[in-house]
Amino acid sequence: MNWISALPELVLACAGMAILVFGVLAPKNAFRLASMFTIAAFLITAMLVMGGTTSLGYSGLFSSDAFSQFVKLLILAAATLGVIVSLDYSEHENMQRFEFPVLILLSTVGMMLMASAANLMSLYLGVELMSLSIYVLAAFARDNLRSAEAGLKYFVLGALASGLLLYGISLVYGFSGSMNFADLSAELTSASQASTGVTIGVVFIVAGLAFKVSAVPFHMWTPDVYEGAPTPVTAFMGTAPKVAAMALLVRLLSGPFAHLLAQWQQLIVLVAIASMLLGSLAAIGQKNIKRLMAYSSIGHMGYALVGLAAGTPLGVKGVLIYLVTYVFMNVGTFACILAMRRRGRAVEGIADLAGLAKTDLGMALWLAIFMFSMAGIPPFSGFWGKLFIFQAAVTQGMWVLAVIGVLTSVIGAYYYIRIIKVMFFDDAAEAFDARPASLSFVAVAGGLFTTGFFLFAAPVEAAALAAAKVIFG
Amino acid sequence: MVDLALNFLFNTQLGFLILTVLKAFAILVPLLMMVAYLTYVERKVLGAIQLRKGPNVVGPFGLFQPFADAIKMLMKETVIPSGANKVLFLLAPMLTFSLAMLAWAVIPVNDGWAIADINVGVLYLFAISSLGVYGIIIAGWASNSRYPFLGAMRSAAQMVSYEVSMGFVMVTVLVCVGSLNLNDIVMAQSKLWFCIPLFPMAVIFFISTLAETNRSPFDLPEGESEIVAGFFLEYSSMSFGLFFLGEYANMILMSSMTTILFLGGWLGPFGLWPALGPIWFILKVCMVLFTFIWVRGTFPRYRYDQLMRLGWKVFLPFSLFYLVLVAGVLMAFGWLPHVA
Amino acid sequence: MIATLAFYLFAGILLVSAAMVVSARNPVHAVLFLILSFFNAAALFLLAGAEFLAMILVIVYVGAVAVLFLFVVMMLDINFTQLREGFQRYLPVGATIGVVLLAELVIVFGGWRIAPGSDAHRFAPIDVAVENTRQIGNILYTDYILLFQASGLILLVAMIGAIVLTLRDRKTSLHQVVSKQVARMPADTLVMVDVIRGAGVPADHYLRPKVAPVAAPEAAHDSHGHGGHH
Repeated sequence: MNWISALPELVLACAGMAILVFGVLAPKNAFRLASMFTIAAFLITAMLVMGGTTSLGYSGLFSSDAFSQFVKLLILAAATLGVIVSLDYSEHENMQRFEFPVLILLSTVGMMLMASAANLMSLYLGVELMSLSIYVLAAFARDNLRSAEAGLKYFVLGALASGLLLYGISLVYGFSGSMNFADLSAELTSASQASTGVTIGVVFIVAGLAFKVSAVPFHMWTPDVYEGAPTPVTAFMGTAPKVAAMALLVRLLSGPFAHLLAQWQQLIVLVAIASMLLGSLAAIGQKNIKRLMAYSSIGHMGYALVGLAAGTPLGVKGVLIYLVTYVFMNVGTFACILAMRRRGRAVEGIADLAGLAKTDLGMALWLAIFMFSMAGIPPFSGFWGKLFIFQAAVTQGMWVLAVIGVLTSVIGAYYYIRIIKVMFFDDAAEAFDARPASLSFVAVAGGLFTTGFFLFAAPVEAAALAAAKVIFG
Repeated sequence: MVDLALNFLFNTQLGFLILTVLKAFAILVPLLMMVAYLTYVERKVLGAIQLRKGPNVVGPFGLFQPFADAIKMLMKETVIPSGANKVLFLLAPMLTFSLAMLAWAVIPVNDGWAIADINVGVLYLFAISSLGVYGIIIAGWASNSRYPFLGAMRSAAQMVSYEVSMGFVMVTVLVCVGSLNLNDIVMAQSKLWFCIPLFPMAVIFFISTLAETNRSPFDLPEGESEIVAGFFLEYSSMSFGLFFLGEYANMILMSSMTTILFLGGWLGPFGLWPALGPIWFILKVCMVLFTFIWVRGTFPRYRYDQLMRLGWKVFLPFSLFYLVLVAGVLMAFGWLPHVA
Repeated sequence: MIATLAFYLFAGILLVSAAMVVSARNPVHAVLFLILSFFNAAALFLLAGAEFLAMILVIVYVGAVAVLFLFVVMMLDINFTQLREGFQRYLPVGATIGVVLLAELVIVFGGWRIAPGSDAHRFAPIDVAVENTRQIGNILYTDYILLFQASGLILLVAMIGAIVLTLRDRKTSLHQVVSKQVARMPADTLVMVDVIRGAGVPADHYLRPKVAPVAAPEAAHDSHGHGGHH
């Protein structure tokens, strides 16, 4: 039994339970200590992931390879930043309960399981572990009506998505006789021979996972849940789970279903176009910055899907790089959003940012960097992510897709740059409260990464390419 | 002639059916007699505990009292409340009674003396006993009346709670036996009855059976001083009688389970007189039944929060701990039962 | 012959009760039909030789899950007319989706083709000689240990979630202090009297509680510490 292949997950899960017990037994409120322990656990796990070996363990249920390592490191980074941005907010909003970091930790275990899934069953359990924790997190501010509504809405729709996913899995299993990725890829060798059942199964699985990455037309929950959930939860929800679900889509479609490219490609192309369009158009009218970020994330997932639709190692490399850039600029943006606090009350309107450059130039600058990066303006990281994606699409001759992508990012640039305009050129509103150190740290870290990405793009690109090649064998 | 009949019974499908029915009667008739006299014994013992005489008028020493009671119940009118859900109202007592009878299919009274000697006997017993709650809930709801509904709610929470620790106790026994077959469980105790090494679990199991059968001190579902008669408040005549029979049959069933799991079933103490298997079995069951009555005569009723606390905060962690301990000891000393 | 008859009996009841679950007007009846269908499914498992699954289905679903279901449904005050209004309003949409799904299923069954060589992937070939409890245990704790533990984690998250979202420490609720109860001696409150049978109890020997200690604040706390006062 090659149980060592899941060592990082085992360590992280055990740490989670230890922190839980610690939190229950601790004499007074253990939120801060539990959060610190969680961050430490993430860092230790990240080291274990880096030192991990390439192996297939647990009777072929779990694979540890370059791809999973890449994705896991990204997830752990996102989760760590997510815990850091929650520190200050939780204490302000009176939700400093030690279960918060524990739930983030357990959901991270689920995401890591997703990243390593080598079987449809481990895939499903990973997805469930991740989602269930996030449903609870979304409703964490239980006395807040909107948070409770967000949690419930997410839960009900998420259960529906899980149902679709399970139905798809059962169809695939029924028609191919296996749930193992290796067996599936050996079984489904030609697109023309695949039975309708498998195709429908794949469609259902894609629908279930598209819900998790909130791609159009499975995006309806996103704005409401993003707006209603406590902001640190939104920050977490907008990064790590997206990475995990996107990685899972990549591994699944480019791995066991690689030969069914003809079946799923048009589906992914359609979803990608719809997501890019909706992400850029619907965000224009938004006044709440959390809702705006929801539409922005829908758009970003659309771009990432373009890379997947290409169906080549180059495309997968593009997806991975896109996810890396996305995580850091998103977390950074949310750190700025969390810092929007007037006289102790959190504000979320775009209008509240008016004239920020005059009251807090530092924050305005960082936020501007993130907005430029999201809009895809060089030399910020967002540009490089888009570049690799469109390059892969063009190499495959998918000109239409690339052109639509470029057009929508131009439209998208409008509302990103509008925020910059509000910050720099509008009349100054009342100043925000002093920023806590934790948020400044995350904003600066994200900002430096976003700005300096082109300096170390080469090693990231090499790692992403190595990871992508694993998927294509 | 005899050969022919035996051949018919053992070798044809119809014969098999008839044989099973006969076997069922062989268990059920003595069982119902036992139920009848259990009510008599209970009243006598409670009488003795409370310095009274108990029933002593009908027949010598009041021995015909159970029959007098039965006739009384059959003669009375069945009253169905106008607001009640008639079908469910009548279904509930039948359900309670038949579930109490159903479980007896797997109880071995002697080596191999069970109607169905199935692989998953313990699970079957556990499944049937976990269904007992339905009779009570349905009765409480179908009566369409406040007190019965309160009783039903109490009973649902109580029985589900105590099932959990009961399950852990059973798992502990199963870890020691290595089989789910009731016959195997008894035979595994031929050297040492499980009530000695697993004494705390035997105590927890016995207390949980008190809660499962809604017996005093856990008789909150009927709690006459607070909710009048609880779930069977609206019942009269034989529909009440069926609840009554079901409760006592369940008591006997739970006593047999205790006997099988912890007191060595039909095995005599120190291997004495193995030929007397069924007698030993019945003696042990009677001993446990006496304890049931003794407890009723001794302890006051638990309050609801105390009941929940005992189940979830005391029994559950303790039995979980003990299960891990037992499994660890078996593992460490290599005493695990045969592994196929 | 008996097995076949039993199969059709259980399968028939299962289908009818499953249909009744969705068509019964009274939600309590619906849950009861659900229980009936669980029960028949368990019987079908039994006929298929999967006795362990059958028993677990009854214990877990019928014995615990459905009880809580019933518990909740009985407590709910459901307005049936309102429910039916919604039913009529959503009927067209629901029916359309149902028809589409049905059509899809027909297409799927039309193209029914199991991948060649799929039999070879079967994880656990059936060994009739070993009872299936043991078989399930053997693969659950070896081949599928990862999934088993992951499911455990999911349930842990569910528990944490239930506690996080619902548990409130009401300052007014009373708690039992067990150590106090245990520390209380019978002699503090009771007098034991020897009674001769039939002679009755002398008038000054009636059992009565000793005079309570005067310390008022302690006594107030005590009053909910002991059972049997309510």
